[in-house]
Amino acid sequence: MTDAASARVVAAPDLPDILPPVKARRGLAGFVVRHPTMAIGLAILAVMAFVAIFAPLLGTVDPTALAPAKRTRAPSADFWFGSDAFGRDIYSRVLYGARVSLLVGFAVAALASFAGLVIGLLSGYIRAVDGIVMRAMDGLMSIPPILLAVALMALTRASVGNVIMSITIAEIPRVARLVRGVVLSLREQPYVEAAITTGTTTPRIILKHILPNTIAPLTVQATYICGSAMIVESILSFIGAGTPPITPSWGNIMADGRALWQVKPYIIFFPAIFLSLTVLAVNLVGDGLRDALDPRMVKRL
Amino acid sequence: MDRRHVLKGIGAAGVGATVGPLAAPAIAQGVKTIKFVPQANLANFDPIWGTQYVVRNASQLVWDMLYGMDSKLQPKRQMVESEEVSSDGLVWTFKLRDGLKFHDGEPVRAKDCVASIERWSVRDGMGQMLRAIQKELVAVDDRTFKWTLAKPYPKMLMALGKIGTPICFIMPERIAKTDPFKQIEEYVGSGPMKFVKGDWKPGAMAAFERNKDYVSRSEATDWFAGAKPMFVDRVEWLIMPDPATAAAALQNGEVDWWENPISDLVPVLKRNKNIKVDIADPLGNIGSFRLNHMHPPFDNIKVRQAVQAAISQEDYMRAIVGSEDALWKPCPGFFTPGSYMYSEAGGEALKKSDIEKAKKLLKESGYSGQPVVCVVAQDQPITKAMGEITADILKKIGMNVDFVATDWGTVGQRRASKNPPAQGGWSMFHTWHAGVDTATPVGNIGIRASGDKAWFGWPKDDQVEADIASWYDAKSVEEEKKIADKINRGCMENVTYIPTGFFLGYQGWRSSLEGVTSGPLPWFWGVKKA
Amino acid sequence: MSGYIFRRVLAMIPVMAIVALFVFSLLYIAPGDPAAVIAGDQASPQDVERIRQSLGLDRPFVVRFAEWAGSVLTGNLGTSMFTGLPVTELIKQRLEPTFSLMFVTLLLAILVGVPIGVVSAWKAGSWIDRLLMAVGVVGFSVPVFVVGYLLAYVFALELDWFPVQGYTPISNGLLPWLENLVLPAIALGFVYIALIARITRATMLEVLSQDYIRTARAKGLGERAVLFMHALKNAAVPIVTVIGIGVALLIGGAVVTESVFAIPGLGRLTIDAIVRRDYPVIQGVVLMFSFLYVLVNLAVDLIYTLLDPRIRY
Repeated sequence: MTDAASARVVAAPDLPDILPPVKARRGLAGFVVRHPTMAIGLAILAVMAFVAIFAPLLGTVDPTALAPAKRTRAPSADFWFGSDAFGRDIYSRVLYGARVSLLVGFAVAALASFAGLVIGLLSGYIRAVDGIVMRAMDGLMSIPPILLAVALMALTRASVGNVIMSITIAEIPRVARLVRGVVLSLREQPYVEAAITTGTTTPRIILKHILPNTIAPLTVQATYICGSAMIVESILSFIGAGTPPITPSWGNIMADGRALWQVKPYIIFFPAIFLSLTVLAVNLVGDGLRDALDPRMVKRL
Repeated sequence: MDRRHVLKGIGAAGVGATVGPLAAPAIAQGVKTIKFVPQANLANFDPIWGTQYVVRNASQLVWDMLYGMDSKLQPKRQMVESEEVSSDGLVWTFKLRDGLKFHDGEPVRAKDCVASIERWSVRDGMGQMLRAIQKELVAVDDRTFKWTLAKPYPKMLMALGKIGTPICFIMPERIAKTDPFKQIEEYVGSGPMKFVKGDWKPGAMAAFERNKDYVSRSEATDWFAGAKPMFVDRVEWLIMPDPATAAAALQNGEVDWWENPISDLVPVLKRNKNIKVDIADPLGNIGSFRLNHMHPPFDNIKVRQAVQAAISQEDYMRAIVGSEDALWKPCPGFFTPGSYMYSEAGGEALKKSDIEKAKKLLKESGYSGQPVVCVVAQDQPITKAMGEITADILKKIGMNVDFVATDWGTVGQRRASKNPPAQGGWSMFHTWHAGVDTATPVGNIGIRASGDKAWFGWPKDDQVEADIASWYDAKSVEEEKKIADKINRGCMENVTYIPTGFFLGYQGWRSSLEGVTSGPLPWFWGVKKA
Repeated sequence: MSGYIFRRVLAMIPVMAIVALFVFSLLYIAPGDPAAVIAGDQASPQDVERIRQSLGLDRPFVVRFAEWAGSVLTGNLGTSMFTGLPVTELIKQRLEPTFSLMFVTLLLAILVGVPIGVVSAWKAGSWIDRLLMAVGVVGFSVPVFVVGYLLAYVFALELDWFPVQGYTPISNGLLPWLENLVLPAIALGFVYIALIARITRATMLEVLSQDYIRTARAKGLGERAVLFMHALKNAAVPIVTVIGIGVALLIGGAVVTESVFAIPGLGRLTIDAIVRRDYPVIQGVVLMFSFLYVLVNLAVDLIYTLLDPRIRY
């Protein structure tokens, strides 16, 4: 959620290049040199995606198999990352957990972006809709996202789908506001006014002239939402409103192990490392995308 | 208080002069306070209206009782000076001790007791039995009241002194006149502590201060019986939602006493020489796998028996208490282990897990994959832990598990629904029963098998019901024990519910406290603070 | 100006009404029964039903909403179903700890975040810049409770510099108050330090490339004067914006921080109320949060006019 906020600010920050710019090259090497932050981020994400997809082949066991007699074992040859309070293998849970956490992150980003885009386009372009929709968005936005998510979780049962839905609903107003802002600034532009005077239909103007211009800020926003959704999922698990315990996610592994942090720190440590790395990677990609998609935002002395 | 106050150090180095008062909290010298971390939040404070254990545990400080149980679970006189029962067992006359006073200065009168008993008996199981045979309950004079019954009730004193919720606490008449289904608004009692309403921050803190006018009995303190001397001026309940935080606070000396440390943190507490750790409640708890007897699949006794055969109590108990073997025992029975009613009759199936037998029974039952709707509260560590084991075991024997992870508020509502599982009903949920309640059929609601009228799950077994009824008329302990065997066997055969084992909990306190006892409740009387 | 404030306050009313209706409907359709929680495990289903009736939970939606909305209009948020205390009283008990936590966190985030951002912008591209920004990104990606546990372990248990938990009212003295807030504020502020540092850096970079900065340097002003007198002042608007957003986000983060450090604040009040289904409390707290949010937005807009005289309403 914090990440989402940063993207909403008009003048967004940029990360320094790790390597000084050199002459343009083509291919993968060229990409890495031109966008080093994005390259690092994408590389980490690729590893995480690999881990998620091939979890069953990476020396894991059933992540839900209980063995109360072998509980809270320290990392060893049997349990690479140790075992949790129910004797489940943390290594397997963390690897399978990547599936849920990545799914939550990317699904929330996609859904919130899409819904926010539609609402933002309509309310930005059609004045009649604007008043009501934006009041409703203001209302939704003024309820703290975590509280909204907790309330929505109480509504139905805990499930991955519900976690996605509740975080998405909390994020939509922010996207809608961003898109609406872009649309409002565009609709006064001469080329849009020209299109209106030449009799172009409203849907066509939105699709042809407005939509393409919203893609850059929207993509950047989406990457931040993706990262923040994974963090919010872990916070929901902490409060007890996250994904159900039989579905491992980085968030609920940490939530399960948190009471034992003083005696068995590794239960929190491993999923925390994976989560941090992934969120970091998503943020790096977001920063990189922003620089690449919107060159005006790149400010160098 | 040997913390190196970093900020105070900075303050002393010059900043302090400009930032205003440096003084520590304005607590008068010499006020001895016990800071206590209870098992749960004190969310309401009416022990008749709300019957959670935490409400009872706070109420015992404020309200006194006519009788109190000692550590042998025998009721002893507390507010009562003497009682008399007519030779036919129908007329009970109670006389109050002299000099008892409520916190508002008014003396405790017989009419207060009558009103309190009336309100309590509407909500209590034994109270309802008494109401059903009650002819008259009247105050004779200020210190005497008389209870006339249509039938003898040998367990009268046990009813008035029972520890299980709700306890028959004595309140002033004006408060006791409140509808038993509505909350009282005034917290005046005659107990050894007064409730400080102004300091009550639900979810964070509750405070009690010593009642200087409390007239203690002269007998030695023994649980609820005998003297209740308060050696501290104030007791503060500090609610901590995070066990890791409570552990750290106890290690640091920020609190004096923690009611329910989680067992995995106990080694850390034991390593600290300033902390003592002991069993909290020797009567412990029985874990419960509660089945819905009304709807498929658990309306079929073969399916119930299949699950019973599959269950490994050791797995459940390890999930709850962790690695501490001292904290659990197998419990193939429905009465509290260690109490005189305890029986293992018919409990062979629970002594070891037999997955093959379970699969066989399930096959014979004709189970055809109906979903088992498991409604499991995630906000209660005990039910959460049991739920994880259950999901695993049901899958293992080939049942189709529909795991509904939710919170206790939802379980409380959903378990009351008699609808089929697919339409807002349920197939099973987890809870646990306190050993003090399961010691006798009085508080042991889980074994009742009166069908529609039974506890959630609505098991039906007329023989078990008849056996329970016969217990109330039993004249000797020997007779009661025989009945206990019959009840236990009956409940096992019918699989009324499945006990998942017997577990205990620890409590931890700073060594500056002296006189902390093991018991079903945390008792503050008799505890001294250095 | 006063006309503008009046219009903004007026515009709050429909927003609040939407929030109220939304939250009320959400709670109405949510499962869970406060009566069952109150009654406890020993109560019979009949008893639970009687308690439900006495709480008025058996009445239809419209009746309950109308009654609640009516009393809200008269400033009465109702009575907690569990404690029997007025909701306004419960909220009042919790305001000081939460506001104290938010205040100290924001102060910390600004005092640390802004200088980091300024230094990074000044030394843009250097190793200091890269290091500071890398730390900032890490700040984004660690859950607040993990940071909280680590801080409590190191600074409270091992070093014994600060208390592990709790809250001391400010009336007991400034230092005892602050002592209890330092660790939670750092835990909660971690993310905001990173956020504010990033925004500050970005806006400073933009401002530093402007002509008047070059002029200021040319006429021989010291680097410090250039950075803090000229550049920072002109970079203030987006920084204030992000601080305003921060307040709203802090409310969410405070829920977890208050649990970890056992601070009796509004976040915990809300979570407790949701778990128990104490409807009047949930409704009251959410209404108050949204009121606060709208108010902060208004304050931020007003600060704009102070910082940048070109902005007029």
